[in-house]
Amino acid sequence: MLILGSFVVSAFKKTGNDSGGPHPLKLIIPSGFPAPQYTFTGNPLTQEGFELGRKLFYDGRLSKDGNFPCASCHQQFASFATYDHATSHGFNNQFTIRNAPGLFNLAWNKEMTWDGGITNIEVQPLMPIAAPNEMAETVNNILSKLRQDNEYKKMFKAAFGNETINSQRMLYAITQFVCSLVSADSKYDRVKKGLATFTQEQQNGYALFQTKKCTSCHPEPLFTDHSFRNVGLPVDPYLSDYGKMRITHNPQDSLKFKVPSLRNVALSFPYEHDGRFSSITSVLDHYSSTVQDGPTLDPLLKNKIPLTNTEKYYLVEFLKTLTDSTFIKDSRFSPPQ
Amino acid sequence: MKLITPRYFNFPKLFIGLLFFAAVFSCQKELHFDKAPENDHNIILKFKPVVQYDSIPLVFGKTYTNYFKEKYTPTAFKFYVHAFAMINVDSNKVFRTASDKYYLVDFADSASTEIKIAILPYVYNRISFTIGVDSAQNVSGGQTGALDPAKGMFWNSTDGYIMAKLEGTSSAGNFQYNIGGFQGANNVIKTVTLLFPYAQNLDLKPGKTSEMFITADANDWFYNPHDIKISANPVITTPGLLATQVAENYSKMFTVDSVANQ
Repeated sequence: MLILGSFVVSAFKKTGNDSGGPHPLKLIIPSGFPAPQYTFTGNPLTQEGFELGRKLFYDGRLSKDGNFPCASCHQQFASFATYDHATSHGFNNQFTIRNAPGLFNLAWNKEMTWDGGITNIEVQPLMPIAAPNEMAETVNNILSKLRQDNEYKKMFKAAFGNETINSQRMLYAITQFVCSLVSADSKYDRVKKGLATFTQEQQNGYALFQTKKCTSCHPEPLFTDHSFRNVGLPVDPYLSDYGKMRITHNPQDSLKFKVPSLRNVALSFPYEHDGRFSSITSVLDHYSSTVQDGPTLDPLLKNKIPLTNTEKYYLVEFLKTLTDSTFIKDSRFSPPQ
Repeated sequence: MKLITPRYFNFPKLFIGLLFFAAVFSCQKELHFDKAPENDHNIILKFKPVVQYDSIPLVFGKTYTNYFKEKYTPTAFKFYVHAFAMINVDSNKVFRTASDKYYLVDFADSASTEIKIAILPYVYNRISFTIGVDSAQNVSGGQTGALDPAKGMFWNSTDGYIMAKLEGTSSAGNFQYNIGGFQGANNVIKTVTLLFPYAQNLDLKPGKTSEMFITADANDWFYNPHDIKISANPVITTPGLLATQVAENYSKMFTVDSVANQ
């Protein structure tokens, strides 16, 4: 009886593997990183789910005219920001209103977008999809396009067990892909592991990064505390973008925007929520001299951050070590064949 | 009793045996999936859109007049309901349905206006339900069923779901009331308790199905206790004071028109 039992068990296990069920993947948590915010609860990370998400991410059919896949504003070589664009291009020759953020280490994000308007990453794609100046498409139209494609039927089946194509599965798959975009192999990371050493300039910059209290808002290892702050940028009269207040309607949130991660910062220019600064040096110039006072200005910036030109140079040299050149060339994240 | 002789007291084999039983049990569970559930429902709630004291049926594309003599032509009228309870105020008996099952009543989609639920057979004289989407579901990520974002009722932001929608045209141009908000003072989630018409009780008998007709009066959106004039506020599409006022108005829009017991 027991021998028979073991026989059946092994047979059962085997059929479990052979039946083509999705192959579980584990999110790689780089050493020193805290526990991620998104834990794949209810949306287990699998090879097939990831591949489906990747295909969707690069598929123009998610936009109204076919020209604006997620990847049109989130380019891998720019750490999934829009390279050299203050704001990005969307449907019908329109501009977006904000600078496209780089997509990496998103599983550690608490709130999405510059104003924190989205609290669950699964529904984040719905915003650019619906925005008339971005992808300008409806979820129902996308689903009917996907349902006509046998390749998608196969991939949804492989990822979720049957050919049903619905919004939840589409969002789950995209979430699996974007949350897998982990970037933690910059020179800085290799120095931390003892595999590389900073040059003297980089080391000076790293020391200044601490002493000038950059770490209050950009703490290692994620280089953001995920908070929302007013860094004293005068409001653009044409955009009239008051940041988090748009969501909370609370005057205390006026002009507060999300603190971005400084990882891959050298790739993600131009900077700030509206891309007003084209170089890291311009950002440092702002912090050292043009911070505008106001009722919601971050207290840490009341006296600005005085920096000499030499200090700015060292800081930039350090910030360049946060570029993850492995990440931007990782073929797992590039367009599917 | 041979099994407990020392020769068989072998931990690896016992473990395998246990695994075997676990495997059998998990297999059995899956087999039960195909079984059709019995008594899937015993009451059908039929929602009907009306205007003016519940007397005039509302038809999309036709023009009606609100309390302020403003003419309006509705093009969309929908709302979320869930957490039904049947109550007998005489015996204090209350039967509640699961509160996590949501329904989007959309008067453009007749199938969605009939809600089939299962209630413990008894005599009831009140019905209560919640209009809106509870806060947890507003921040729960990708969902299916009535809460599927493909239904066009999700705002894609901390604002969560649009809980009720009334849209159309008026002499003042298009009007759009997308009412939502679930946080703090902006909360528009409402629970209503409705009386049944005089001498009509819901008398559920085992094995029988009853029907209840509930009217939803679009005119109530504009008046009592708050004055909402289309000319002054043609667009209410963000949470806030106006949205909470409209929600307070529309929470009074439901009337149990009749109850038909089988």
